[in-house]
Amino acid sequence: MLAPLLAVLAVAVGFPLVYAIYLSVTDYRLTDQGAPNFVGAQNFIDAFANGAFWNSFLTTGTYVVVSVGLELLIGLAIALSLQKQKWFRDATRAFLLAPMFITPIAVGLTFRFLLNDQIGAIPAILDTFGISYNFFGPGKALFTLALIDVWQWTPFMVLLLLAGLESIPKPPLEAAKVDGASAWYRFRRIVLPMLSPILVVAILLRALDALRVFEYVFATTRGGPGTETQTLQYFMYQTGIQFFRLASASAMAFIVLLVVLGLVVLTFRRIERSKA
Amino acid sequence: MRGSNVLGIARIALLWLAAIFVLFPMVWIALNSFKTSGQMNDPLLLSFKPTLANWENVISSGILAAAGRSAITASVTVAISVVVGSMGAYAIATFRAGGQLTRFGILASQVLPPAVLVFPFLTMAYALRVNDTLVPVIFAHLTFVLPVVTWFLIGFFEAVPRSLEEQARVDGFTRFQAFRLVVLPQVYPGIGAAAIFGFTLSWNDMFYGLILAPGKAAILPVAIAGFNTFRGVELGSMSAAILIAVVPVTIASFFIQRRFVQGISGGAVKF
Repeated sequence: MLAPLLAVLAVAVGFPLVYAIYLSVTDYRLTDQGAPNFVGAQNFIDAFANGAFWNSFLTTGTYVVVSVGLELLIGLAIALSLQKQKWFRDATRAFLLAPMFITPIAVGLTFRFLLNDQIGAIPAILDTFGISYNFFGPGKALFTLALIDVWQWTPFMVLLLLAGLESIPKPPLEAAKVDGASAWYRFRRIVLPMLSPILVVAILLRALDALRVFEYVFATTRGGPGTETQTLQYFMYQTGIQFFRLASASAMAFIVLLVVLGLVVLTFRRIERSKA
Repeated sequence: MRGSNVLGIARIALLWLAAIFVLFPMVWIALNSFKTSGQMNDPLLLSFKPTLANWENVISSGILAAAGRSAITASVTVAISVVVGSMGAYAIATFRAGGQLTRFGILASQVLPPAVLVFPFLTMAYALRVNDTLVPVIFAHLTFVLPVVTWFLIGFFEAVPRSLEEQARVDGFTRFQAFRLVVLPQVYPGIGAAAIFGFTLSWNDMFYGLILAPGKAAILPVAIAGFNTFRGVELGSMSAAILIAVVPVTIASFFIQRRFVQGISGGAVKF
């Protein structure tokens, strides 16, 4: 039963991946006509020496931690609220989940103009309170991008956590209630532990997806001010597609892959150990 | 009792706040789509004479066809992913096939930066003469939708009690019958959720579409992005284009959401 999965993955992922490995050890550029030359590990050495590359690592890391952290907290609060909802259940849920169905480029462009200090509604509202805040200014743009991510992807967190909450068996909760356990105690000692498998999946999926942030940067800041919002995905897109250095972009992508995989493996080790 | 009242009020306040947060950007964009560029310089202008010029402009740019192509791409990708992914997830969950390695492999393909895979896809598409069609886009979307759908389903399959399947086998079902008739119905809610998620992933992606089908087979996100760069920024028309992308999926998400909630409560094993 595993065979169809492996076959499709081999064609759709395996072959392009091998091709990309080949690319990463050549000097191929998008503008080349002839066959590329073999350059060995040169692209990897260059990438390691590239400060801008490591900088975009840090930028992306900050972005992921801020956005996924906020999404988890807000998502959990909303999921708990929705679970107790009695009237207009489906309508409320469908409405609050809507942002995750919107294509990120549309979300990015919407916020680009919503937060624009000349024609945007939010700066205009803040202005009536005498607050002047440049959302895409130095030191702020990255957090604005993270907030856009929170706007769009908290619903995903809510969807998963709500599914988890509704699959929690009722008897232990009722027993705890009869025994006089407070709401907070029931939440911390029963709900949270039973929710933890789905929490891990939700955080992992969101973090891996947030790592690939591209559309928001593409739609709003294009990496600026300076290189403050130059996330990994945007940096590699620039290197590969705009500057035609496909080979070095491939090498960078493999370094990213290894670092992230390492982090995922470490996380899993710790989870497995805490289970034992 | 008073403690629970405070919690109740906080709960409702939170939901209202969330609703306003969700709604505000969309209402603002909707208003903008009926404004002339002069009226747009006043961001908080609420009463104005609406214009339909932006909408006529957008419809004539062929954005509805792009939306159709996006829907086809997402549907085909999800159909393949759900069939292949549920079988794979079942194998991984039940037989521990490939052990942890398979799981990490699946996750690894999710970690893969799209920038790596897109160029080999472009070369292959040229070689097979399917460049600027939906075929390479569907293949490219499979690279991230299929792993996510499979990953998503493993947990649901693991939650199915093994005793159910063993009983079915004792009752004379073959392995595949036990999978299809006993195990699979248990994970319908999971498959529904996975399908919704897979669809949105494919529907939302711009990166692959931008590079693999930039021309006559442009999918919706690419068409919208094109509106941004074409003749500078036309905020009014772009607002209309954004709404065309947003409104149908919001309505669709309402129906999907109902099915999702039904599915989640409809499992055979009662807790």
